[in-house]
Amino acid sequence: MGRKTGFIISKILELLATLLVVSLLTFVAFSVIPGDTAQVILGPDASQAQLDALRSELGLDKPLIVQYLNWIAGLFTFNLGKSAAFGVPVSDLIAERLPVTIGMSIIALIFVIAVSYPLSVLSARRPGKVLDQVFSVTGHILFAIPPFVLSLISIIAASALFSGFRAGQYFSPDENFPGFIGCLILPSFCIALPKIAMTFKYMRSSIIEQNASEYVKNAKGHGLTDMRILMKHVLPNSNVSAITVISIVLSDILAGSLIVEQVFNLPGMGRLLLSGIARRDFPLLSGMVFYIAFITVLLYFAADVLGSIADPRIRLK
Amino acid sequence: MKNPSSKIFFIAGCILLGIVLLIFLISLFWTPYDPSATDPASKLMAPSAAHLFGTDNFGRDTLSRVMDASKYTVFISFAGVAIALALGLVTGIPAGYYGGWTDRGIMLLSNSIMCFPGILLALVAVAVAGPSMYNVVWALGLVFAPTFARVCRIGTMELKQRDYIIHARVMGIRSPRIMALHILPNLTGSLLPATVIGLANMTLFESGMSYLGLGVQPPDASFGKLLADAQSYMTRAPWLVIFPSLMLVIYILGLYFVSEGIRVRSGKGGN
Amino acid sequence: MRHFSKTITAAILLASMAFGFASCTASNASSGKVTVGITQEPGTFDPHTVVAAGDQEIIFNIYEGLMKYDSKGNLNPCLAKEYKINDSADEYTFTIRDKVKFHNGQDLTAADVVYSLQRAAGLLPGSDGTALIASFDKIKTVEVSNDDPNKVVVTLEQPDSELLSYFTVGIIPKDYENSDKSPCGTGPFKFESYSVSQNVTLSANKDYWGNKPQIDKVVFKICADMDAGLLELKSGTIDIFPHLTKDRADQLSPDAYNIMDNASNMVQIFALNNKAAPLDNPKVREAINYAISRDDIINVTMDGAGVALTTAMSPAMGKWYDKSLDGTYKKDLDKAKSLLAEAGYADGFDLKVTVPSSYLVHVNTAVELGSELSAIGIKLKIEQVDWATWLDEVYSKRNYESTVICLTSDYAPYDVLQRYSTDSKDNFINYSNAEVDELLKKIPLTPGEEDKLSLYHQILKIMTEDNASCYIQDPQEIVPVSTKLEGYNVYPMYVQDMSTVKFK
Repeated sequence: MGRKTGFIISKILELLATLLVVSLLTFVAFSVIPGDTAQVILGPDASQAQLDALRSELGLDKPLIVQYLNWIAGLFTFNLGKSAAFGVPVSDLIAERLPVTIGMSIIALIFVIAVSYPLSVLSARRPGKVLDQVFSVTGHILFAIPPFVLSLISIIAASALFSGFRAGQYFSPDENFPGFIGCLILPSFCIALPKIAMTFKYMRSSIIEQNASEYVKNAKGHGLTDMRILMKHVLPNSNVSAITVISIVLSDILAGSLIVEQVFNLPGMGRLLLSGIARRDFPLLSGMVFYIAFITVLLYFAADVLGSIADPRIRLK
Repeated sequence: MKNPSSKIFFIAGCILLGIVLLIFLISLFWTPYDPSATDPASKLMAPSAAHLFGTDNFGRDTLSRVMDASKYTVFISFAGVAIALALGLVTGIPAGYYGGWTDRGIMLLSNSIMCFPGILLALVAVAVAGPSMYNVVWALGLVFAPTFARVCRIGTMELKQRDYIIHARVMGIRSPRIMALHILPNLTGSLLPATVIGLANMTLFESGMSYLGLGVQPPDASFGKLLADAQSYMTRAPWLVIFPSLMLVIYILGLYFVSEGIRVRSGKGGN
Repeated sequence: MRHFSKTITAAILLASMAFGFASCTASNASSGKVTVGITQEPGTFDPHTVVAAGDQEIIFNIYEGLMKYDSKGNLNPCLAKEYKINDSADEYTFTIRDKVKFHNGQDLTAADVVYSLQRAAGLLPGSDGTALIASFDKIKTVEVSNDDPNKVVVTLEQPDSELLSYFTVGIIPKDYENSDKSPCGTGPFKFESYSVSQNVTLSANKDYWGNKPQIDKVVFKICADMDAGLLELKSGTIDIFPHLTKDRADQLSPDAYNIMDNASNMVQIFALNNKAAPLDNPKVREAINYAISRDDIINVTMDGAGVALTTAMSPAMGKWYDKSLDGTYKKDLDKAKSLLAEAGYADGFDLKVTVPSSYLVHVNTAVELGSELSAIGIKLKIEQVDWATWLDEVYSKRNYESTVICLTSDYAPYDVLQRYSTDSKDNFINYSNAEVDELLKKIPLTPGEEDKLSLYHQILKIMTEDNASCYIQDPQEIVPVSTKLEGYNVYPMYVQDMSTVKFK
């Protein structure tokens, strides 16, 4: 038990150190970059006096270290200042976008699990046989197609298959929640496809490995059914890779939504980031970039800790 | 575990890659038309004897453009991987070799960089530095460096335990020399699959950046840029989509297959 | 077992898709809401500081000026019942319309008009004196008339008979300071909300003084780009989409959309910085003008939906345009080459063209120009920048060699040409000709229309002789409008007038 706590404490220290470096990297990157936030807000015709006034209002006249500490304080209180391009608080902008991004992440994750698990079980039953080969090659091809092409193809396919399908439609969750979920399904599927291929690959080899192990052979010898072995032994034991995979998938989904939101014209974090980039909106960008990295760090942390609980071996490494 | 399919993968991958590299080599010396010469009179023509792959909305010959694009795709992926590999080597090997705080520091930095979604990092870098092919290469190199650093670090940690390295250290050979002469050459086995996969991932990233307008600048085009430009003609002039995506898929699939082949092989050797 | 898991997967997939798509079809198109697709993020809603044409076309519905354009480009009194310009053209008197209410319920008074015009002219106490509307810098005073509290008198420092069109600028309530975020005007629609990169929503102004709008709501939906917009058009979620390209409009079903078009009165210019070598040499600029085929560019970029331009004014300006300049530059490569040789660039040169990446038409124009100019040895290097950088580096700082852009202006010849005076802040091509400066000064002092006409034609001739720049086309404005709607008008300027739109 003491060992386990020690492991978790060292992981937490690592987490804090990573967060510190991530915040430093983000802050330094956006401070070094040429471009003056005050100038962006006021436009090219602003007078020096106006610029100075706004700089002191935004705290840009203070030493960098003070700015950094203020920024960190802001991160914890969700007060990231005003967006340079849009003049509204950054946290409002982010809050407005969260439903789409969270919705897509959840739906995409459901797709990944619902599709990749059964397929990898099927595939691993007879490795190297036709079905397995077909799945593997399809997986490779899905990997090889750029995400935006995949999205465009799926729009064409969906329009041809379902007469009721309307690409690009969006409902806000307060207005029409079923509609909101409905509009996210195809984009989530497009984000999920390459991740399905990836998860399939990991799960398949993990199951094959388990199947070859002694205890599964023993269980078979004892006359347990395939289904029972799978549910009771093989799947729980491949949990290590599953949790890792899910956290990687979730963090990848955030990145994947960048392009898919653009194709489907959805108001999520991805499009907000892109408009931030196009307008050099550093307060917006630094806040969003940090939060995304923050979530990723947490996901990896969760994967490590949960993984260690599921499989004691990992801690000993 | 004997795996006959690894050989098939490897051969299939080499054939696919060979197609792209052959086209790349030919394009250095010859294309049927000037890839950036427009001809409005013959725009959006379906494939014909004169234009095997048809023409685009400027009347440019798609075959020539696809051939020319192989140049940019191959260059960006190789140059990007070269930068990532170089950065990975100079950080990953010392981290694995010295261990301790050097290791912790370098790994903390590389783990932190990996927490940012790669495409986002590359986009911000290119948006700030200005879109150009060279900035894309630099950005992708930086984004992928931590992956290589990890591979180098783990490989080095393993090699460090080997008798001949311990022997060399006892003999008093200086560490930089050991790293350069004894460790580096022995990392090839584990770095090769990572390098090949890196080439494929860079190509995919680059196509995404092209789609968002931050990739290769017109009139030049990579496979990804050709596809991004063709998206509004998907139904009207499908040949503009089909041929570049075919090339892109052949290139990436080739790389994946080759890496699969190498991975299984080197895995066997390692055991 | 194999069969079992397969069925489950398929069932989950199908169930979720069917559920999703069914709910997607439940749209509420008949509630009197019209959705207009736009591709530009609004910058500001302040009628006095607005620069982007994309912002202007939205706030046309919110604000009204003393004067207002109609869909033919005629200038009519609006918040002014009537107006008078004195004979020496240095005093404008406007009679304010009665019974007009602002969106916040306040009545429109002469004081609001005085405040708004003073604000636009930089005359408010505490302002630094710079006119927000450049042409208003010659306004000396804005006052309520001594004889009639319903009259506003504008006096000028120097006579200007060309100022009337600028009084279309929006009138806001006195001391109202929130115009950029929460606009308040007198127009047919009220501002309701703006969500970044999603939409701007306006609702009908029930108290509007004129013909009341016939729809409840207008949503200006911000699309990621034209192709995302096209996708929405195809699925019927956008009713009106201004500034579409012809090849995209051709993909729409005629049952769902009527395609409306009109000359846009925009001037697409291959802007040659007159101060950047070697473009400072008029011979080089002339060579460029002779080396390109405007028809080919129009064919490639607009699918033929454009009118070739050889001068700074579009033929859409009617009589103000000088027809004798039609076809001045006919593509002639030999002539272009010899002109370049005369200028000392027989082997051509490298030229950088900085284009805003969000405007595909301009990027494509640059690509076509690059291909055509390579025939005379000019190697065009395309550099794409984002819109903010373009405005800053190219338009404000003039730190560029060449660019491609569309110039928009009011439907007034003076507004089209005033940017070419040496000291104009809009003269981003750095054109300078003392004679043109003189003429531009003379026009506002000239009362008679015929005399003005000849002055305008003179300016266009001199600019052509100087090869001021390379003008390409007046791109045709193409607007798909849902067949469910009627009453939409395509203006010859950047305006989306929703007040006449209604469901059939």
